[in-house]
Amino acid sequence: MANESQPTTGLYKETLLAGLWRENPVFRLLLGMCPTLAVTAAVKPALTMGLCVIFVLVCSNIIVSLMRNLLKPHLRILMFTLTIATFVTIADLFLKAFALTMSETLGPYVPLIIVNCIIICRAEACASKNGLIVSVIDALGMGVGFTLTLCVLAAIREVLATGMIFEVQVMPDAFVPWAAMGMPVGAFITLGLMLGLVNLTNKKKAKSSCHEV
Amino acid sequence: MLKIKHFIQESWLLIVASFAFGLLIAVASASLDARIKQNEKDKLDNLMKSLISDANDFQIAIEQAEIPGDRGRVETTDVYKALGEDGGVIGFAFVAVGAGFADKIKLVIAVDGKCEKFFGFKVLSSNETPGFGSKIKDDDPESDVDFADQFKGAPAQEFELIKTGKLEVIKKIDSQIVAISGATVSSDAVVKIFNMYTDKIREQLRQKGLIGDGK
Amino acid sequence: MLKDIRVSCSPHISERLSTRSVMIDVIIGLAPAMAAAGYYFRIHALILICTCVISSVAAEWLCNAIRKKPNSLDDFSAVVTGIILALSLPPNLPVWVAVIGSVFSIAIGKMVFGGLGANIFNPAMVGRTFLTASFGVLMTSWMVPVTIDSEIAKIDPDNKIKAVAEEGLVHARTRATPLAWSKQAIKSELGADLYSEEQFKATLTGEVGGSLGETSAIALLLGGLYLLIRRTINFHIPLAILVSAFIFGAIAYLIDSYSYVQPLYHLSSGGLLLCAFFIATDPVTAPLTRRGMWIFGIGVGMLTMLIRIVGEYPEGVMFSILLMNAVTPLIDRLCKRIPAGGKPSA
Repeated sequence: MANESQPTTGLYKETLLAGLWRENPVFRLLLGMCPTLAVTAAVKPALTMGLCVIFVLVCSNIIVSLMRNLLKPHLRILMFTLTIATFVTIADLFLKAFALTMSETLGPYVPLIIVNCIIICRAEACASKNGLIVSVIDALGMGVGFTLTLCVLAAIREVLATGMIFEVQVMPDAFVPWAAMGMPVGAFITLGLMLGLVNLTNKKKAKSSCHEV
Repeated sequence: MLKIKHFIQESWLLIVASFAFGLLIAVASASLDARIKQNEKDKLDNLMKSLISDANDFQIAIEQAEIPGDRGRVETTDVYKALGEDGGVIGFAFVAVGAGFADKIKLVIAVDGKCEKFFGFKVLSSNETPGFGSKIKDDDPESDVDFADQFKGAPAQEFELIKTGKLEVIKKIDSQIVAISGATVSSDAVVKIFNMYTDKIREQLRQKGLIGDGK
Repeated sequence: MLKDIRVSCSPHISERLSTRSVMIDVIIGLAPAMAAAGYYFRIHALILICTCVISSVAAEWLCNAIRKKPNSLDDFSAVVTGIILALSLPPNLPVWVAVIGSVFSIAIGKMVFGGLGANIFNPAMVGRTFLTASFGVLMTSWMVPVTIDSEIAKIDPDNKIKAVAEEGLVHARTRATPLAWSKQAIKSELGADLYSEEQFKATLTGEVGGSLGETSAIALLLGGLYLLIRRTINFHIPLAILVSAFIFGAIAYLIDSYSYVQPLYHLSSGGLLLCAFFIATDPVTAPLTRRGMWIFGIGVGMLTMLIRIVGEYPEGVMFSILLMNAVTPLIDRLCKRIPAGGKPSA
């Protein structure tokens, strides 16, 4: 657990990197599956979703971390949800004002960030127990990890389903798009295969580190 | 008394936070509201423009026209008039709302200046099943068998939904609308929206003297 | 003398029945259909079957290598999957699509579940479904058997309707599959009576448009019969499928004989026979008990006919197999054998 009075740069780095790989919200914690499956048909909506989640995650972690000593244990989930809902509403309004088409593409999945487990998990597991700086770094790590994962997943699906990335043609003209990859089935299969791959590499790593010790 | 004290003790943070967050949202909403409204208006203008391509400008003809819907509910909508090059009215457009398969369907419907023929419709917002009901949105200029194409130039009267695969029926412009296969509910919803609004809008336009009484 | 007698508990199997021998039997059973495909589609059949088999085997080898599991190629199950997939594909499908289908069949349909015996769905049908969902156009562009006069082959559905009106006769063997024909009849673009006697005969011999291995009913029946005689498959599932499909086809035919083709035509066309004898009988994905097999077979037949008659697709075999595969564990639970001595009291 973080020692607030003597925070070290090593701890910050550790916290930041945890979200990116070791405790990657999608691959390792299996949180936030709903947006992961729903908005990854193309990179653009995936990136927008990721940025929204980063914003909400950072804001809610700041607020929760600041009021962590005032929280009553039995009312804490209520407080978390209230905080998250506030920032999600703001993000939603912001999208509607400045990126109307994207807001329409994402549809109900922006308001659904409220129930995204990653955010409430980080509020509970990190922000309500740690200081401001650690909480922010944790939120950034987790948010960026989530966004990157979503983008990788979306890139694979978008290339196969349309031959494009960011709506720019990358495949030769002869490429016949795999329509199924743009459908929900493509999301499940791609995510499943990626999870398998991550598990495989982690297993190997664990084995080699065992040998070293 | 003790109870109230206990209550406050436990929940003061919640109450304070609720007010603070409410204020935050109010501020955000107030500052972004104008832009959101403008976005919606731009979108509506674009859709109306794409329906009535000759129009130069759109102005509100009837503000908050009341359309009695089913079960005693009243929908209100603004009716816009489309002004042509010479400033004459060449058509009317309005937003129509009705229940779809999964969620409300909002359409922009355009009729000509005499309220006799439709220019067609565009979907303002809908949440129909992708691949089936979502086909009400399909509007490929190349193809002439899109669902929406059946309304282009159709007479402004009651529509009837029929089910057939015959191409010539789909292509023929009349008051028979061929349902999208696999999406009868969504197709029916669109037809119902048309039927609900057409007569009442015409009625109101007549009352305002914007169109002749048809005699 | 006594030392030759071995004591073991049941089951006492006298015959050496291995996965390998079953799979070889299935391959022999599929031989007539492959031969018919080779006769009607020539080089296309050869290319497609070889592609599917080679890429299935390669995919299986690769998956085993990645998972560091012992090689399972020698049970020939990958070969069978490849052949069945090839036989269910349109003859002029590009090679790369067939490769994707085979790899998908083996990797996603079988190996991710843990290999043969652990898969929930029939691998070949999983692959085919993915191809149908991804490459809808390629998967429904049929070619005509090379044995058909090329002049006749040029008649396409549009001018065929005209030809019908003019001559009152339609030639059976053209681009659209028999089932696409009957679908058009249902959509009342043309009457089901156009589905002539001649067309029915064509579906028996296989001189008709369709997937590589499902055009010739006789070849499939021959293969199925071989498997039945060899006791490689039980008669329950095929019989249940065919009977229920016939009954549901007959109901539709009796209600409206103008729109719906005769039930016999339904049996002989499309993938129903291939499915009944070779796909539905897959021991891994079908129920174990006899009662379960009946339920499974009736379900497949019923769903197939529902999709063919009511649904959007002309052919429903693939979906009905997958749907019934999904409920197979439930059927098995429902039809548990009661051990000798009755149900154990609770």
